[in-house]
Amino acid sequence: MGTITQSKRQLAWVFDLNKCIGCQTCSVACKVLWTQEKGEEPMWWMTVNTKPGLGTPKAWEEMGGGYKDGKQTPGKLPTPEDFGGGWDYNYDEVLRGGKGRAVHLEKIAGHKNWGMNWDEDEGAGEFPNSYFFYLPRLCNHCTQPGCLEACPNDALFKTDEGLVLRDEDLCKGAQLCSAACPYKKIYFNPERNVSQQCIGCFPRIEQGVAPACVRQCPGRAAWIGFLDDETGAVSKFVNKWEVALPLHPEFETKPNVYYIPPLSPAPINEDGSLNESEQRIPPEYLESLFGPQVHGALDTIKVELEKKRRGDDSELMDALIMYHWNEALGHLNRDPANIVWD
Amino acid sequence: MVQQTEASGTSGAWADAYRDRWKWDKVTWGSHAVDCYPGGCPFRVYTRDGKIVREEQAGVLPLIDKSTPDMNPMGCQKGASWCTLHYSQDRVTTPLKRAGERGEGKWEEVSWDEALADICDAMLDAVEDQGAESIIVPFTPELGAAPARAAAGAIGAFTTDGNAEFQDFSPGYHITWGKFNPISSMDDWFLAELTLIWHANPVYTNIQWYHYLAESRYNGGEIVTIAPDYSASAIHADYHLPVRIGTDAALALSMCKVMIDVGIYNKQFVKEQTDLSLLVRKDTGRFLRGDDLAEGWRDDQFFWLDSKSDQIVPAPRGTLAMGDVDPTLEGSQMALLSDGSEVEVEPAFEFLKRRLEDYTPEKAAKICEIHPATIRKLAHKIATRKTKIFIGWNSGKYYHGDLMERSMALLLGLSGNWGKKGTGTRSWGISGSAGGGAAAKERPGPRAAWESRRQLLSMFRLLSADDPTMTHEIAVNRAASSPAGGRLGGLGRMGPPAFLWYKQFGYKERWDNKDWQDPTMKREFSEYMEEALEKGWWDSGAGNIWEDTEPRVLIEAGGNILRRQRGGQEMLLKHLWPKLKMIVSIDYRITTTGIYSDYILPAAQHYEKFGTSMPSIHHMNTVLIEPATPPLGNSKSDRQIGLAMLKKLEERAKARGMTEITGRDGQTVSLEGLWDRATLDGELEDDEAAFDDNIQDNAVFGVLPKGTTLETLRQKGAVRWTAWGVMGHGLAQASTIKPDEVHNPFRWHTEDKIPYPTLTRRAQYYIDHEWFLEAGEELPVHKETPPQGGNGEFILTSGHNRWSIHSMNMTNNIILNTHRGEPFMFMNNKDAAAKGLENGVEVRVFNDAGSMLISVKISPSVRPGQVIIYNGFEPYMHRGWNSQADIEPGIVKWLGMAGGYGHLQYRPLAWQPIPADRAVNVDVEKAT
Repeated sequence: MGTITQSKRQLAWVFDLNKCIGCQTCSVACKVLWTQEKGEEPMWWMTVNTKPGLGTPKAWEEMGGGYKDGKQTPGKLPTPEDFGGGWDYNYDEVLRGGKGRAVHLEKIAGHKNWGMNWDEDEGAGEFPNSYFFYLPRLCNHCTQPGCLEACPNDALFKTDEGLVLRDEDLCKGAQLCSAACPYKKIYFNPERNVSQQCIGCFPRIEQGVAPACVRQCPGRAAWIGFLDDETGAVSKFVNKWEVALPLHPEFETKPNVYYIPPLSPAPINEDGSLNESEQRIPPEYLESLFGPQVHGALDTIKVELEKKRRGDDSELMDALIMYHWNEALGHLNRDPANIVWD
Repeated sequence: MVQQTEASGTSGAWADAYRDRWKWDKVTWGSHAVDCYPGGCPFRVYTRDGKIVREEQAGVLPLIDKSTPDMNPMGCQKGASWCTLHYSQDRVTTPLKRAGERGEGKWEEVSWDEALADICDAMLDAVEDQGAESIIVPFTPELGAAPARAAAGAIGAFTTDGNAEFQDFSPGYHITWGKFNPISSMDDWFLAELTLIWHANPVYTNIQWYHYLAESRYNGGEIVTIAPDYSASAIHADYHLPVRIGTDAALALSMCKVMIDVGIYNKQFVKEQTDLSLLVRKDTGRFLRGDDLAEGWRDDQFFWLDSKSDQIVPAPRGTLAMGDVDPTLEGSQMALLSDGSEVEVEPAFEFLKRRLEDYTPEKAAKICEIHPATIRKLAHKIATRKTKIFIGWNSGKYYHGDLMERSMALLLGLSGNWGKKGTGTRSWGISGSAGGGAAAKERPGPRAAWESRRQLLSMFRLLSADDPTMTHEIAVNRAASSPAGGRLGGLGRMGPPAFLWYKQFGYKERWDNKDWQDPTMKREFSEYMEEALEKGWWDSGAGNIWEDTEPRVLIEAGGNILRRQRGGQEMLLKHLWPKLKMIVSIDYRITTTGIYSDYILPAAQHYEKFGTSMPSIHHMNTVLIEPATPPLGNSKSDRQIGLAMLKKLEERAKARGMTEITGRDGQTVSLEGLWDRATLDGELEDDEAAFDDNIQDNAVFGVLPKGTTLETLRQKGAVRWTAWGVMGHGLAQASTIKPDEVHNPFRWHTEDKIPYPTLTRRAQYYIDHEWFLEAGEELPVHKETPPQGGNGEFILTSGHNRWSIHSMNMTNNIILNTHRGEPFMFMNNKDAAAKGLENGVEVRVFNDAGSMLISVKISPSVRPGQVIIYNGFEPYMHRGWNSQADIEPGIVKWLGMAGGYGHLQYRPLAWQPIPADRAVNVDVEKAT
């Protein structure tokens, strides 16, 4: 079993769920960069899902893993059907096959009835008080990574910057990591018999370039930085203002991806008038995702928003606005186009 | 167990393998010359061993206005995976000739020479048989493909006007302002105190700059989303107003009524900037005009009632400034006409007040299903805050979209919400190439550009010689409205396609069907059609030629008419296809239209050629695209395809002794020297030289900073504009570009008091065109959407999806994997349960217009009774290939054909009839 080492510093991600628009640019940027080889077709190290929803792999929140009172709890190994996706299509048959309308573009590879974003924009509630929001997810690069401890081959390790990485030369495809990970963000590559997950864009980070999911986010909803860098936005959101919260803290893996919880529109009363005293996402649902601290975080956001609406200053709101895009990148603000490889 | 140790494990072979995935040996600038509006995303393109491996947003746009956030890193998931399209299986890299029946998908690879000879022969046959206009070239919005249409344009082929072809027009805005497209730059949206997302879904469709809305909210602004369903663009709003489908005009008019009743409307703004202060005759409902009062006085002289003197005084035509006059909005007066009779006249505002009596919040609530208290509350907010309406091109696609937009514009006018930062609305507008381009020049280089600029300016001066009050903007519009206007810019003969569709595409049967038209249409549709043509309202756009001109050739460059055309494939394949002797698809991929073509000519992909992304006013940058690799296989840049076709046309014309072509407009083009003219005697044959020349021309016209060249763009990737040039959409902005400020349009009107390009030279809410009076639409009014397609149980709405630019990207394997990977239709959970439909099952959606198969996706965010199919799916993705367009009849509202009235006349990319496709009645059943 692997041994968790404490990193010198800890990189962390913050995603603002009030700015995330579910566009999947982060997912696609990651896919194009890292997982286009054979065996990687169904892999999406970065995903954005609609919540409430079953997400990817299907119903991952019910699969167990992580810790309870400091002890690892058993988890289910998600199946390829749970992930779905990895589709390829009969392009040639349709476009050049001479069969006309007798054929149409269809999936010819992968599991057809689920995918990385199958339940997009479905959400919950009843019209006109239906509700949903977007939840971007990647490996949480946990401080207490269950995957690492579960690995029988010592393949997983924490880097100096706090990333959880897998030495694929040591990985023997046992997949105990995947069963142990409560976020189910580990994929299996049957071609190479190794598991794979988000590598934290370490080749970019070592060049001073932010991960693709952060640098390519057009919604300007993502930040990266060291948790102990008090001048950085990430640290301020997490530690100073306490408005960025980990997902499912009860899994006890101490994840390092944090979320600004979502506000939502006023619900509509039975008679069609607006109910301005509430928001339409049930608070208990948000609590089930982000823990009881979510209420305080939302209160802080609302108070600061009100300041702006009165015409007063708010340092928090200005940070969330992100006047300069470079604020998202922290110390990882090098332009990759300027790198010249030997 | 946690230990403190030195950790590093990224030295192994596995780690190097990942490092190698990120490496490259070449970096170039890229973007996407497609109809992604507003586009403008600067990307870096990374190439390794001659293959493009990925792209990433460049993030190089400088901060303009210190009070707003910057624009970086503009991009989206389509742009971030575009390179995979270069190598996808639907890419075509060698000319294909049909080897089976049209639509069968059997191909033979042929040489460019063979393909072009065959195509050019067919074009020349068409000219001899039916005239040059029988060569139909749809004006589709893929920017990069435009140069492939050069040959067709040069010989006077008929280019269908894009505003109807792709339906992205805002007719109600045009009716109001004489232009549909005054647009703020993106960063101005940050400054709004209230943003109404209305008839738009920017979370899907404006991914690269939605952040300004989210950030304006953090800046203290509020977001209100008005949509029938709880759309993705409602989730980040403060309020969602679930308006009943198609009743937006009632909601807007009710808010207008509240503002007037409470007295919180902007009286000064209304008097000065709008026609509501102009006098209208109570007997005829027509404006009081100069020729009513004195013989020989202009019929476009309008009048105020001066509250100081209680006299009727002429409203100046050359300025909006009111001088010593204080025009009243209320009251009435008797006017003595030139024939000695007296009539009562009132300001249009009085007519408006009477119209609005039908829209008290309580009455309107019954129509639009928004609570009266919500209507009052929002009206107060709009009246007291800097308000913007974030609109898309959804309203314009409603049958009565013109009325919705006129009502929304009224809301902005009454509250004084345009012409200052953080206010206004939007549509589409492009600039950044105003007056540039080799087409207008006689030789390369800046001196020739100066000459062409001088010629243009003197032409505009000449056009305004008879009316010294004419603004530059009005003079330019007048030039574009002239019979030669459609030929400006080498577009061939551009005209509104509605008349062609009616006479030749089979639409007569549909549009003449009274059951699918509005019951307030007093006469037969055909009667309006014939009257419009008899009066010559559409002659300058070749509206009058289609009775006896049969289409012979279709050249679709970068477009996909069998996906796009509302009314669907049945109309086209049944009525148009048999008439066509030659169908050509010029594209980098095989589309549904390609499968039904006789030839597919392979175009370069977007990282294989020079170009710019959509030069939209939202970002105001010229964004560079340069070749990262040569065109794959035997494909050619669109420009080289256009030039090769010109050369071949000359050759084949000469062979048959044809020397010139005279169009139905009487204009003659010589078939000799076509290629020489397009390349300026060969000096601009090379794409790079031509592109550089064009960039330098733009510097001459002042659009780009002095001295800007291709090299400047290579240094920066994107260069912000410095001015609008002398023609085009830029001028419609009517605001001066400042280097360190957001752009907000209309300021020449609101601050400098320069008149609007409308009949009354003011923002015009009252239209006294005889057809509008007959329809009761002289002022905005709510009318129900007629039951297009029959009386089905559900109302089908649509819109652009999140994952594609029309059908481009739709078959991108990576993008397909980010949703269901197949076409689907959203449906409310209770409706689905009532029909016994489970999530994901295939359903048949049908009405009297057609039928299609699609899978169902169930969500409580869909309004009960509504079904939504976001458009863009290739027909060949559906079983049986029928798609959404097959159940959207594509009805045209008769008033769109009104003309001969001030700003209601044809000029390219402006006022014209456009088809409706929203709120179509359909039935749904489980497929068998």
